[in-house]
Amino acid sequence: MRWLAVLALFAPLASAATLEECREHKRRGRLPEARTCWSALSQSHDAALQAEALWALRDYNSANERFRSAVAQKPKDALVRVRWGRMFFERGQRKEAAQLYEEAIGIQADFPPALIGLAYLASSGFESKAVELAEKALEKDPKLFEAREMLARFALEEYDEKRAIEQADKALAISQEALDALVIRATVEWLNDKPGTEWIARLDKTNPNYGEGYAMAANMFIINRRYEEGIALYRKALNKNPDLLAAKAELGVNLMRLGAESEARQLLKECYDANWRTAPVTNTLTLMDSYKNFVTFEKGMLILRVHKKEAELLRPYFEAELERASNVFEKKYQLKLTKPVQLEVYPDHEDFAVRTMGLPGLGALGVTFGNVVAMDSPSGRKPGTFHWASTLWHELSHVYALAVTKHRVPRWFTEGLAVHEETAVNTEWGDRLDPATIRAIKDKKLLPVASLDRGFVRPSYPAQVTVSYFQAGKICDYINSKWGWQKLVDMLRDFGTGKTTPEVIEAHLGLKPEQFDKDFLAWLDTQVGEQVKGFDAWRKNIAVANALVKEKKWDEVIKTAEPIVRSYPDYVESGSAYELLAEASEKKGDKAKAIAILEQWAKVGGRQPETLKKLAALLEEAGHKRQAAETLERINYIYPVQDDEYHRRQGELWLEVGEKDRAIREFTAVVGSKPVDVAGSYYNLAKALRAAGRNDQARDNVILALEAAPSFRPAQKLLLELSK
Amino acid sequence: MRILAVLAALSALAAPATTWYITVAGLGGDPLFDQRFNALAQEMDKLVRTTPDAKVTTLTGPASLKVRIRESLADAAKNGKPEDTLVVTFIGHGNFDGQDYKFNIPGADITAAELAEWMDRVPAQKQAVINTTSCSGASIDMLRRDNRVIISATKSATERLATQFARFWVEAMRNPEADTDKNEVVSVLEAFRFADKKTVGFYETQKRLATEHAMLEDTGKGSGVRAPGPDNGHGLLAGQTPLVRFGSLQQAAKSPEKQALLKKREEVEAKIEKLKYEKAAISVEDYRKQLGSLLLELAKVQEEIDR
Repeated sequence: MRWLAVLALFAPLASAATLEECREHKRRGRLPEARTCWSALSQSHDAALQAEALWALRDYNSANERFRSAVAQKPKDALVRVRWGRMFFERGQRKEAAQLYEEAIGIQADFPPALIGLAYLASSGFESKAVELAEKALEKDPKLFEAREMLARFALEEYDEKRAIEQADKALAISQEALDALVIRATVEWLNDKPGTEWIARLDKTNPNYGEGYAMAANMFIINRRYEEGIALYRKALNKNPDLLAAKAELGVNLMRLGAESEARQLLKECYDANWRTAPVTNTLTLMDSYKNFVTFEKGMLILRVHKKEAELLRPYFEAELERASNVFEKKYQLKLTKPVQLEVYPDHEDFAVRTMGLPGLGALGVTFGNVVAMDSPSGRKPGTFHWASTLWHELSHVYALAVTKHRVPRWFTEGLAVHEETAVNTEWGDRLDPATIRAIKDKKLLPVASLDRGFVRPSYPAQVTVSYFQAGKICDYINSKWGWQKLVDMLRDFGTGKTTPEVIEAHLGLKPEQFDKDFLAWLDTQVGEQVKGFDAWRKNIAVANALVKEKKWDEVIKTAEPIVRSYPDYVESGSAYELLAEASEKKGDKAKAIAILEQWAKVGGRQPETLKKLAALLEEAGHKRQAAETLERINYIYPVQDDEYHRRQGELWLEVGEKDRAIREFTAVVGSKPVDVAGSYYNLAKALRAAGRNDQARDNVILALEAAPSFRPAQKLLLELSK
Repeated sequence: MRILAVLAALSALAAPATTWYITVAGLGGDPLFDQRFNALAQEMDKLVRTTPDAKVTTLTGPASLKVRIRESLADAAKNGKPEDTLVVTFIGHGNFDGQDYKFNIPGADITAAELAEWMDRVPAQKQAVINTTSCSGASIDMLRRDNRVIISATKSATERLATQFARFWVEAMRNPEADTDKNEVVSVLEAFRFADKKTVGFYETQKRLATEHAMLEDTGKGSGVRAPGPDNGHGLLAGQTPLVRFGSLQQAAKSPEKQALLKKREEVEAKIEKLKYEKAAISVEDYRKQLGSLLLELAKVQEEIDR
């Protein structure tokens, strides 16, 4: 904070206290003295000093006002703008902070405090330019230890402990009292289950009440998915300095994540009441208020929380998959969970976003907090863009990977296993090779396995998170195919002992990471090489095929689309060549071919509900009722909401082919979707129950049908039959 | 809404009267919309013609002129009877000029005030306007009157984008699921609920901001409601106004030998209705028992009617 010292030197001495004195009290952890000092300084005649003091005293509105005056008084003072920006940043007002930093740079090019401010901003969004900005600041001022501390922190966020230590040591070489550098050194030890005594002793010597440091360490544990340890550190931070509202808010948010809602609410409310009304605080409180609209179902060790409005419809599907996945994972990971698993399903994506905010590199479909899993409901996404069952299996595998390793698994490995599990359960599930990943492979942008974690935390290009998921998944597929599943479990266990990726790769696969990377890329080429090579031609030809469809030149569509499908079979998104080919075949009267193409599309992973319904209709028309029902059944795992018609048709088909339980499941879904046709829905369910010999339940349901529509003749007939 | 269902059924039973259907497809503004509006009007035309004693006028394309609409309503005014039903449906675009709602048709547009004036001359005691256009909410105030149901695809003049409601309205007329009380009559209320649910679902599924919110007004007083029901006093007339009929109910009503059985059926239905109103006051077990035996009795009566 050398710049502040400069500011203080030039400040008029209007009060007994100086900025440097106040900061020194704070720096030494003399909190009561600091408060007294700030109070005195708030009487200063200098607007900038007043602003600093009022900010420290948490009178944000007045501080804001004084900063505004200070900027008006000193329009060419870049530092005042930076300090004002830092206050905005602390309050989560990123846009205002960024503007002030940019203005400061406009006044003084590459002004190091402004660069540091921008680096903090970029870092909070997990942007790779955070590192560049901190390095640039360091170029301008090589003695700026704060920049070194930042670089150390960024390295640790990327799980690069070696680099974190190097940077922390460089900061300490500049200043023996670089508090954050000391905390980084201690955190590295804590993450490795060591005491960190030396560093804490040094920290305590300078500042025995440095709660901010413990909060930073807590954040590192949270990023590493070690939530309980992170929470313990936040508590310690507050123990050191109860006024740290940012830490209190983080503690509240993380307690909420782990399901400790009562304490979370209390802490967040305290923050709110103390005027710490940042977006995480207010949004989390709002989210918790909305919990009254959710219902919770418990079944053994499995807890399901679903929104009231879709609970009846979704519960059977989600419970069944949760149970199935738990049973499979218990065997695969050779572990019985000791704590219940809670799955929360959010129909409003914004609620889900609140639940997951502040975490790096999320695919934003689901997230796991220890034994609590939060995910989007199928109704929270556009049909065909989200396979909820795939996501459920993905997230639940994290629960097991975290439990096996006591939360010490590297990000790339747990994501890789999770992606692997999506297709292991069903080859139609999971994500396919997408254009962004093809581009990354073409441009040789896949990361070495030893640094793959970086791709999740601080992506250097927009699609890198998605590409890293794909790569990690393929690495696990590769290990599974070459060495077998047990090898993956053994590696997972070894990660739990604290070993690094290179150590685990070498110990279990007998390869140096560099050799593993070579072998993996060669294997990957055998898997996707043809599609990567054919991508450019695909991109050109798909446009041609679409134009031909518009012109209704069906013969030419067929001629063009067939090779497109072959060149990039994984492309099954909306508007795929499969769909064009199927449409053209149908127009030419070749329904059998249309069926064959769409079945191929569905097997590769095609998941547009409308196209699946079309395939089902074609199959039904061709007399293949079972296949038609199976096709509609695929939609259950994609978008089982907003359409009771397909549930009803599926139920009818199952009933026709004698699959009574599946018919009952589907007619139950119709009832659960709160249809307009209440009577018809209960009647269909009653019919299926009767077919299954469950006459008492059939009678109950036919009475419900007739309660809604007493003159409903088919239901009357069924009642008469059931009453004989 | 069971009482409405009973009333609707009775209304259907006593319906030798004429139902006047006037359906107009307005200007699309581009070929795609023209095609869509005309196709919906033509499908409606086919569906309403299955209703016994229907007088159907369907105007599409260049024929959708103001003068033709006025002539059709003048015919209903001249030849109609109080026991008749009048159903006027507009499919297309509408706008609001700050004074009055206008339905966009070839030539001069028709205003809500003009439509109200011409409809007021029709003696039919049950009237329904189904205005599925953009801005249609702006027509409610001008059209409302005792014994008239007004349905608009939008809640106000500010909802100006092309609507989806019309296609779901037509779907309600052909989909038996819309007949929620299974009395073989789709009432205006049932069709409204069906089409509204589908419209809401459309926007939710597409993750699009809903740009239309359908309204129903049938009290002659208000500006319409989104969810008609006993709590807001809306829906009673709409529930009694049949939109389309299908099945054999009509024939049964005409058969003199079945009259006694029909009377008995009505009595049992009334008992069921009474029981449902008393549901809160009796135990679940008693309710189920009584309901089960009444429904069984009703089924037996119906079996006799069908024999």
